Amino acid sequence: MSSISVNTITDASGGTTTSINGYTPTVSNMAGRNRIINGDMRIDQRNAGASVSGYFSYAVDRFNVGKNAGETAAFTQQRDTSAPAGFNNSLKFTVTTAQTSFTASQRVDIRQRIEGFNVADLNFGTANASPITLSFWVRSSLTGTFGGSISNGAYNRAYPYSYTINVADTWEYKTITIQGDTTGTWATDNSNGMAVTWCLGGGSSALGTAGAWVSSSVFGVTGQVNLVGTSGATFYITGVQLESGSVATPFEHRQYGQELALCQRYFEIQHFCATGYGNGSNGILFTTPFSATKRAIPTMTDVGLSYGGYTVGSINVNANPTFVGGFTTSLSSVLEIGVASALVRCQTLLTASAEL
Amino acid sequence: MYKLCKDITTDKAQCIKRLADNAFIPFDPANTDYQEYLEWLAEGNTPEPAEE
Repeated sequence: MSSISVNTITDASGGTTTSINGYTPTVSNMAGRNRIINGDMRIDQRNAGASVSGYFSYAVDRFNVGKNAGETAAFTQQRDTSAPAGFNNSLKFTVTTAQTSFTASQRVDIRQRIEGFNVADLNFGTANASPITLSFWVRSSLTGTFGGSISNGAYNRAYPYSYTINVADTWEYKTITIQGDTTGTWATDNSNGMAVTWCLGGGSSALGTAGAWVSSSVFGVTGQVNLVGTSGATFYITGVQLESGSVATPFEHRQYGQELALCQRYFEIQHFCATGYGNGSNGILFTTPFSATKRAIPTMTDVGLSYGGYTVGSINVNANPTFVGGFTTSLSSVLEIGVASALVRCQTLLTASAEL
Repeated sequence: MYKLCKDITTDKAQCIKRLADNAFIPFDPANTDYQEYLEWLAEGNTPEPAEE
């Protein structure tokens, strides 16, 4: 066996199309770089593009809005069709009620929490911590210095970062490279391994100095634009990528089905339909597998269908489950109590949430 | 507010029902809704009992 050790390999003409066993590797075809899920904001299982409001709510999958306590800013967020070249969607945030001042720990932020399994190889919290690079497209009605942070799951390690929006209502591309954190505790399991935050306003202790790791909860940078201080202000973001290394590579476009499956590990709408035979007294336990194995046993909500409890042919249709349980990470269950001595179909719409 | 839910097939508490949105929350320490429930309990609150 032999090996080569060189700094650069180019093709015979000096170009960049050198192939290896007939394959030309480029930054855009190396899969699995992006630790962010739904970074191009395509997937919106909950709302299909409709506007939502309220803290902790999800507009597009995997991104929601966080706060501390007592924040008075109100807003809407939704999947939007404004996007830079190469993208079709963005997450749009619009301030509907301004908040011009904050208590020290208050803040409003857009965030994605990344499962520990998906950042374990970065070796944060060890001497081998990798540098990471965050890149994204952003657009706002306001200009100036904006901020965000990278945090661990316990929010006791944070790296505030800043970026500048130069022109109002214009898409701009931003990249931030961060040296890996060699201290602190960073989860490498199915819990919150890393939180990426874009701060839209905050109080004195929620903001910090950009460019250094701190051992506290920090979500943005001191002196940053208070976007939520202006009623009607807008903030759009898309093309979010977090990757290992010191270089921002082009956004990793995954196929729609791949991205949807990644999202469904954390949230899924299940068209639940199962059939059993009742004996008129005991319940029937119906089960249906999820499309994707969940991060944790999910919270289940019956959002129902409009079928009502009527009969289709010889089958009694029950649309109002007595009891819903996400019994495992791969299987949901519905218990119907008091069903008739007949063939019974349980049919409803369930949501399964295992978000971080 | 929460209410315990009992699985009649086992007669044991199977999960917690969040009354605000009728969501069924499992006893899974990795579930963030369950983590919030535990914080609610730690504040001295008590869930409604399961129906017999």
